[in-house]
Amino acid sequence: MADKSNDPVALWQHMIGEMEKGFNSFANQAMASPEFSKVVNQVGGVTAGAQKQLSDLMEKYLLGLNLPSRAQMVGMAERLAAIEGQLNEIKALLHQMQGNSAAPGRTHAAAPRPPRTKRPPSAGGEQK
Amino acid sequence: MNATAGLNPAGLDLASIPERIQSEVQRAIQRSIKGVEYISTSGPSLGSTPKDILSVRGTMNLYHYRPLADEIYRVPILIVMATTNRGYILDMVPGQSFIEFLLKRGYDVYMLDWSAPKPEEKSLRMEDYVLDFIPDCVRQVQRDSGETDVTVIGYCFGGVLSLLYGSIFADGPMKNLICFTTPVDFREMKLFQNFSDRRYFDVDHLVDSIGNVPPEMILSSFEMLRPASRAASQVKLWENIWNDEFVKSYRMFDRWATDTLPLAGEYFRTITKDLMWDNKLYNDTMSVGGLKADISKIKVPILHAVAEHDHIVPYDAAKPLIQKIGSADKEEVMLKGGHVSLVAGANAIKRLWPKLDSWLCERST
Repeated sequence: MADKSNDPVALWQHMIGEMEKGFNSFANQAMASPEFSKVVNQVGGVTAGAQKQLSDLMEKYLLGLNLPSRAQMVGMAERLAAIEGQLNEIKALLHQMQGNSAAPGRTHAAAPRPPRTKRPPSAGGEQK
Repeated sequence: MNATAGLNPAGLDLASIPERIQSEVQRAIQRSIKGVEYISTSGPSLGSTPKDILSVRGTMNLYHYRPLADEIYRVPILIVMATTNRGYILDMVPGQSFIEFLLKRGYDVYMLDWSAPKPEEKSLRMEDYVLDFIPDCVRQVQRDSGETDVTVIGYCFGGVLSLLYGSIFADGPMKNLICFTTPVDFREMKLFQNFSDRRYFDVDHLVDSIGNVPPEMILSSFEMLRPASRAASQVKLWENIWNDEFVKSYRMFDRWATDTLPLAGEYFRTITKDLMWDNKLYNDTMSVGGLKADISKIKVPILHAVAEHDHIVPYDAAKPLIQKIGSADKEEVMLKGGHVSLVAGANAIKRLWPKLDSWLCERST
């Protein structure tokens, strides 16, 4: 049997795995220091504020060009998703009205549901 | 020296070298072909188990999955997803879907999933999640199923929300509670603690200036926990790009991991101050909307599944849940895997899913 320690591919994979672990461990130690938190939060605070300002500015710029902003596109996509959802609900209601076999109070059932009589295997229920 | 026939003194199987070279050349060719395929195609379709949308209200989405068994257990399940991520991690592709597994085992499954809160939803508070969204979904599950009892399953922060809900509505209708990797002692989430150190992290300034916390910030904070892992996973992808199954799995998990949701500003402020800074859930001082949320008041059967190698919610952060909960019927199970592989993928199929089924079936009649 070939020794895995001589397999260059296995060695390479092992090396990558070890490097990943080593770097993660080293970085975690560095990130646990209060200095790291201080620096990251100072930079992060400034960046967040700058990003917000840039985003507001871009929104105005796109408005001036009569173009939709990303937020508007996302809003439109969500609106479409909501319309699709409502269509699904209407479809489910139509199926229910057509079948008219759902239990009272069940407004979204597209088909009759199975009985709630299943028992666990320990109580003699069947596991399929 | 114990060299055997075909091996040189260094242990190298000389006879296998041509085969090995041939195999590596074939893989290199496959890598080039599949690499182009990878760039030019989209990943597998996720979250495709047939479902009906019962309710959509702002960030809240309630789904009902269509039963796949001829006979189902009496008690329906409501899954409460973590607010930072999409629910399709529990419904990847057929054969690797937790939802599909539950349906085939005879459970009636509902999911409270979240969509990105809109800028105008930045004022959503913890109260909105715990005292409005979850109770509303529970009521809709009751109405839709015709059953009073409901089993609640919470994943990660969905588990925290479920605990808060269960402790405030301790008299029901929650019949069973299952938590996956749910933190209680936030002091033990060491790196998150350091990222949000109250001396340097000005959460008020952040929320007041940007409103909702952007998904990029949430994703970065998760990725910073293992900063080398993204690069290493890219290398592993390239090595294995000839392997369709590996690539399919990589794409599913990668898509989900990067599909992070923003968090509503006020809600994030409460998480930071009450949980990360004051550790109120652990200290039994947590309240939501003026109502005390003491997890010792929860008396229903509970299963808490934790992962041995969870880098997001370390075991020390999750351990006190079972100690503090008031239930007599309580169990913690530690399984091999990480924060995500506990619930999805080959590891989950083998470990968590059957365990959950054997625990829950006895309590679902």
